[in-house]
Amino acid sequence: MSYVQINNVEKSYQGRQVLKKIHLSVAKGEFVTLLGPSGCGKTTLLRIIAGLERSDAGSVRVNGKEILAGQHKKGQNIGMVFQSYALFPNMTAYENIAFGLKLKKISPENIRQQVGEIMDVLSISGKENNYPHQMSGGQQQRVALARALVTKPDLLLLDEPLSAVDAKVRESARSLIRDIQRRMGITTIFVTHDQLEAMVMSDRIVVMNSGEIMQHGTPEQIYHKPENRFVANFIGTYNFVPGDWVGLSAYEGEVCIRPEHIQMLKKDQLEQFGDSGSVRLQGLLAHYYILGNTVRAEVVVGDRKILVDRLNGFQGSEFETNEEVGLVIDKDACTMLAPGRGEGN
Amino acid sequence: MKKGILAKIVIILIFAYLFFPIVATLLFSVATKWTTTILPEGYTFSYYQQLFTSPEFIQSLLRTVYVSVITIALSVVLIVPSIYLTIVYYPRLERFFEILSVLPFAMPGVILAIGMIQMYSSGPIRITGTVWILIGSYFVLILPYMYQATKSGFRAINVKALTEAALMLGCGKLETFIKVILPNIIRGVISAALISVSVLFGEFVLANLLVGDNYETLQIYLYKLQKVDGHLANALVASYFLVILLLSLLLIWLAYRNNASAVRDRGKTS
Ligand SMILES: Nc1ncnc2c1ncn2[C@@H]1O[C@H](COP(=O)(O)OP(=O)(O)OP(=O)(O)O)[C@@H](O)[C@H]1O
Ligand SMILES: [Mg+2]
Repeated sequence: MSYVQINNVEKSYQGRQVLKKIHLSVAKGEFVTLLGPSGCGKTTLLRIIAGLERSDAGSVRVNGKEILAGQHKKGQNIGMVFQSYALFPNMTAYENIAFGLKLKKISPENIRQQVGEIMDVLSISGKENNYPHQMSGGQQQRVALARALVTKPDLLLLDEPLSAVDAKVRESARSLIRDIQRRMGITTIFVTHDQLEAMVMSDRIVVMNSGEIMQHGTPEQIYHKPENRFVANFIGTYNFVPGDWVGLSAYEGEVCIRPEHIQMLKKDQLEQFGDSGSVRLQGLLAHYYILGNTVRAEVVVGDRKILVDRLNGFQGSEFETNEEVGLVIDKDACTMLAPGRGEGN
Repeated sequence: MKKGILAKIVIILIFAYLFFPIVATLLFSVATKWTTTILPEGYTFSYYQQLFTSPEFIQSLLRTVYVSVITIALSVVLIVPSIYLTIVYYPRLERFFEILSVLPFAMPGVILAIGMIQMYSSGPIRITGTVWILIGSYFVLILPYMYQATKSGFRAINVKALTEAALMLGCGKLETFIKVILPNIIRGVISAALISVSVLFGEFVLANLLVGDNYETLQIYLYKLQKVDGHLANALVASYFLVILLLSLLLIWLAYRNNASAVRDRGKTS
């Protein structure tokens, strides 16, 4: 049973279509991420779900109720965190968080208790009397989150809430948001253009490109089974090689292999490795550099450059640049892409 | 060293040039007799006492206060919601309002006044010679100041995001405007009103042409007083100067506070 049901939503701005027949359903308690490059329509879709923007066609239902733009949001009970946080500058952290509860005519003691609780969970207790401009970006972000969570919304919408803070704060905020979301069981739609963020946090990822959903699935599915070239290109890194290289001579198109799924060997060891399920290639190691916990090798094979990732072990590398190397590719590691959709981008 | 002295002399000369008439006015307003001497021969506050107890002065002051307050109130009530609505709901109208708000600068007051006298001396709205025509033209006169100063108050916050945040929390549209937007722009509105007060208190051309003796404002009273009693007129000018000075200080203080908080919030309201 889907909790959020988006049917055939379309939207154009000045004659340019930014959302094309969007279909999406989200189950209760699910954490779904909209992922895609800048300008692909993520914010627009989120704003339509929130009822802040009118769609040209289609409908959005949350918990059975249709969401209509311009309608009073009191009965809607959707929480939203904006990229700019949009904290009320004239109110303290406490007043900001209590704002939604006061509108619900909850008694002052209850408000005090609920605000205190959520501030505790988000570790911003003690900041009650600070105005937004007296808090750091990370603290403001938590206040914004608290303000949305304290009303116990049916649906939580987050539009790149982590993009304005530094890498360390972002990392801890990711797990914080995920933890609270699980604990409270709040159905969440999260927008980001950071694929790592999407992988870490989501139950399901919806990859979008120029107003269309290119693929949706678990992080596993998105990463290992891209359905089209756009997703393959957008998520992580892929090598594209002709089918006959990996013994698929009957296959017209190209196949793709992740750099970490290719084994790189000294040239003289090549004969001893691999079985009937794998192919062996030879090439020249053109470039070798550290990415962090992995090391990336660029190997020239024929007219192609193949990327190979290996773990960055403590003993360092046994390879030299401009050395002849052997590559072993497991046939099962190769993904064939359906031609057509998303090609060429 | 030499350059420093030269700069100081220039600055002193400029200040002397600016302040000499003001000091002279002040002195003359408290002088008993001042003819052949450099400084007055004696001092008195009797002109001030005379002025402030004169019923004519009180009447004209009240009239000026009355037109100013009504005009500014009208202006605030119309302009603040208009700017808010254009920002949040009708962004395309913004350009139109910008142009409309600078239009009065392109029209000399005299032309405006004569046009209005003709327009409103017959037809359905016959208000020539009444205070209403003055209020109408004052509204146009202060429009640029009101619009720009109010607008800058709006610019200091992210109006659209704040509105949407409040709406999402279940706040009604009017409630949002009153509880969330108004408290954040009120300083901009106050400075707009203060600028307008100082413009309207000094206005003579429109008042003289449009209503003249029918509705004797402070400036018209001053104009008449000048011909009768120089000392009294000077006392009035000096008082006027003090009031404007206080208003300006208040404005500068407000503007400074606005800027300070805008600087603190920059980067967090992108
Ligand atoms: N109010 C508007 N008027 C006109 N065009 C708009 C408007 N809002 C968005 N667009 C256009 O719609 C497209 C999608 O915008 P949207 O903000 O949804 O992208 P996004 O995926 O959220 O991008 P980003 O990651 O940069 O936030 C963009 O090309 C944008 O220029
Ligand atoms: Mg966006």
